[in-house]
Amino acid sequence: MPEASTGVALNTVEVRFTGGMLALNRLLMTLQNKRMPVAGFTLGRDGGGLRATIVLDCPPESALRYTALISALADVTEAGPAETIEIALVETSADWRTVAEQSGVQAREDGKLVVASGGPEKMDDFLATLGEDVEDVVRLGPVARPEGGV
Amino acid sequence: MCEALLDEGVEHLFGYPGGAIMPFYDALPDYPLRHVLTRHEQAAAHAADGYARATGRVGVCVATSGPGATNLVTGLATAQMDSVPLVAITGQVGRPALGKDSFQETNVMGMTLPFTKHSFLVEDPDELYPTMRRAFEIARSGRPGPVLIDVPKDVQFAACNDNGYRRLKEVPSPVESPGLERAAMLLRSAKRPLILAGHGVTLGGAEMELRLLAERTGIPVVTTLLGISAFPDDHPLYLGWPGMHGQASVNRAIDRSDLLFAVGMRFDDRITGAAHKFAPNAKVIHIDIDPSELGKVIKPTISIAADAKAAMHSILGHLDDVPEGEGCARWREELGRSQEPERRRKESARDEYGPIQVMEAIKRAAGPNLRLVTDVGQHQMWAAQFFEFTKANSHITSGGLGTMGFALPAAMGVAFAYPEDPVWVIAGDGGIQMNLQELATIRDFGLNIKVAVLNNGYLGMVRQWQQFFHNRRYSETSITGPDYEQLTASYGLAGKTVREGDDVEAAVRWAQEQDGCTFLDFHIDPEANVYPMIPSGMSVNEMIEEDRA
Repeated sequence: MPEASTGVALNTVEVRFTGGMLALNRLLMTLQNKRMPVAGFTLGRDGGGLRATIVLDCPPESALRYTALISALADVTEAGPAETIEIALVETSADWRTVAEQSGVQAREDGKLVVASGGPEKMDDFLATLGEDVEDVVRLGPVARPEGGV
Repeated sequence: MCEALLDEGVEHLFGYPGGAIMPFYDALPDYPLRHVLTRHEQAAAHAADGYARATGRVGVCVATSGPGATNLVTGLATAQMDSVPLVAITGQVGRPALGKDSFQETNVMGMTLPFTKHSFLVEDPDELYPTMRRAFEIARSGRPGPVLIDVPKDVQFAACNDNGYRRLKEVPSPVESPGLERAAMLLRSAKRPLILAGHGVTLGGAEMELRLLAERTGIPVVTTLLGISAFPDDHPLYLGWPGMHGQASVNRAIDRSDLLFAVGMRFDDRITGAAHKFAPNAKVIHIDIDPSELGKVIKPTISIAADAKAAMHSILGHLDDVPEGEGCARWREELGRSQEPERRRKESARDEYGPIQVMEAIKRAAGPNLRLVTDVGQHQMWAAQFFEFTKANSHITSGGLGTMGFALPAAMGVAFAYPEDPVWVIAGDGGIQMNLQELATIRDFGLNIKVAVLNNGYLGMVRQWQQFFHNRRYSETSITGPDYEQLTASYGLAGKTVREGDDVEAAVRWAQEQDGCTFLDFHIDPEANVYPMIPSGMSVNEMIEEDRA
C-alpha cells in the first residue's frame, strides 16, 4: 500500500540525473517499488541529463526519507526539496485579475490568453474560482521554480 | 572484462556459459581467475552471494543472455534484500540485434531494476572496463548490493581500453553528529536498555565496536536473524534474537525495554510484528548507513545515518568515563531469570531425537570454526535458536527474501572462501531439492561441505501455518523426495539416512570425518513445530509459546 495520502502536505523533490531512458526507468521503478505517494511527475531536459520534478503527497519527514532513497540511486546527480510552480494558459472572460490576486498566482495577458503561474495549490484555487468561465486551459508542470523566482 | 576482474582482486567467479557470453568465456582461460561451473545460473548467483557474505568481498556471477539472465533473478533479489555486494555479468545479444526479439534476447536490466542496486548496459566498448570497475565500487560502497552489467556480444568482441579509469575515492562517512552525543547520553541514563544489532554490524566489520560498547555499558545484546554471529553467543551479555520465531524472553525484553539501540538493521516486519505495538516503552536510537531506512518502520528518537563501526566508535568516545560493565545490573539479573525456562526446555530437548539433538551433534563434531549455512523454513529457525555461534560471521542464511534453495549453492561460495573451515548446510527436504543439482559441482571441486537435511516430508513451515491458521488443511504441503543415500551415491558422494533410534552423534561424527561432501538425511517428526511463534502482523502479546494442538 502506498503511504496514506495526506491531502494537505505536498512536497516537491527535484531530481537531476544522467543515463537517459534506463535511468528514468530506474527512477520510475523506484517510485513504484517503494510505493512513494506521487501526486505529480514532470520530466524535462537538464543540460546533458534529465530533470524530474516529483510532487509527493506525504508528511515532510517521509518526503525527506524518500529523497534520501532517490539520492542513493547511482544515476542521480542531485536530489533535493524544491519549490514548484505550475503554469496555466487560460482563455477566460472572467475578471481573472481579481481572482489571481485572491488566489496568490501571478498572471498577465498575452493576446487572447492569460498566462498564470504559481504553486500547484494556488493554481488549483485560481482555476476552481474561475470555474465555468474558463473556456480553455492548458496546465504545464509542476516544475521546480528556478532560483530567483520567475 | 577479465582484466577489470583481476584489477578488482577477484579470485573466484561462479557462472554458466552460453551463446551471448562466449567471447568472455573464450578469454577466461588466459587469466588467473577460478571459474566455478555451476549446474544452474541461480546457483551461481547464490554461490557468489555466499562467497560475498563469508568474505565481505564482492561476489561475482556470470550468465548468458535470455534464460541464463532470467535464472539469475532470484539470486539477485536475495542479495538485494540482504545487502550483499554482488556483481552479475550477463551476455546480451549484439547491439544490432537489440530490440528485435532476437534469439535469447531479454531485457534483463528492465527485469532486475527493482532488486539491483544499479545496472549497466554497456553499449560502447571503451566504456566496458570503467563500467566494470564502477560496478564493483557501487556494489561494495555505502549499503552494499548487487550490480548487474549487461554486455552485448559484439561489445565483448570489440577492442577496448581502460578509458583513463581512475578509482573513485571512497569518502568515509561522517562520524560526528550531535545525535551521537545524545545517543551516548541516552545510553547512560537508560534503566532497561537493549542493543539490537543487525547485519550492518557484520557488513561494516563492527563486531569489535559492538562488543566494546556492550561491555563498557553492560547493556545486553540481541540480534536480528542476519545479525546472529555478530556478537558471540556465549558472551554473558548475549540474550538471543527476537521476532516471529525468536526467543520468547527476548521478545518480552524488547517489550519491557526503555531504550533500544538499534544498529545496522532495518526493523524488518519479522522482527517487529505489529510495528505500532513494538517496543512500546522504549526510546529508539536507530543507526543505519542507509538514511532512507531511518523512520521507515519505527520512528526513532534519535536517527543517525552512519556506518555502524564509525558510529559506535564515536559513541564509545562519549562513554570514556563510564565504569566498565557496571551498568544495568538489575536489568541483567531480571533478564537472566526470564531466560531460565527456555534454558530448561532446551536442556530437556537435548535427549530427544529431533532437530535440537541434530544441531547439538553438529556443533560438537564441527567445533568452533564451524560455518553454518541454512536454507529457509523451520530448520532455519531451529538452527538460529539452538546453535551457538561464537565465531564472527559464521551464520549465513537468506533473511529478507527467504529464498528456499539458497543454502547448498551459498555453501559452495563459503567453502571456496574458507576451504579449511568446516562448512555445514542445514536444509529442509523442500528447499534442498530446489538446487540439488549442485551436488555435481560440489563433487567436481571436492568441496568439503556437509549436508544435514531435516526431512519431515512436508514444506514444514507452510504446514505449520496451515495447522495454526487454516484448520490443519494441509493443502499441497506434503512433499516427497529421492532416496538421498542412493542419490548422493550416484553423484559419487557418501550419504546416510538417520531415523529415530539411530545414533545421531555417530552419524554426524562419521559425516564430519569423511573427506569431501557427505549427506545426512534425518527423518524427523512430520508435525514438529517451531516455537515460539508470533503470528504475522501481531505483537508479543499474541505469541504462541507451546504446542496447543
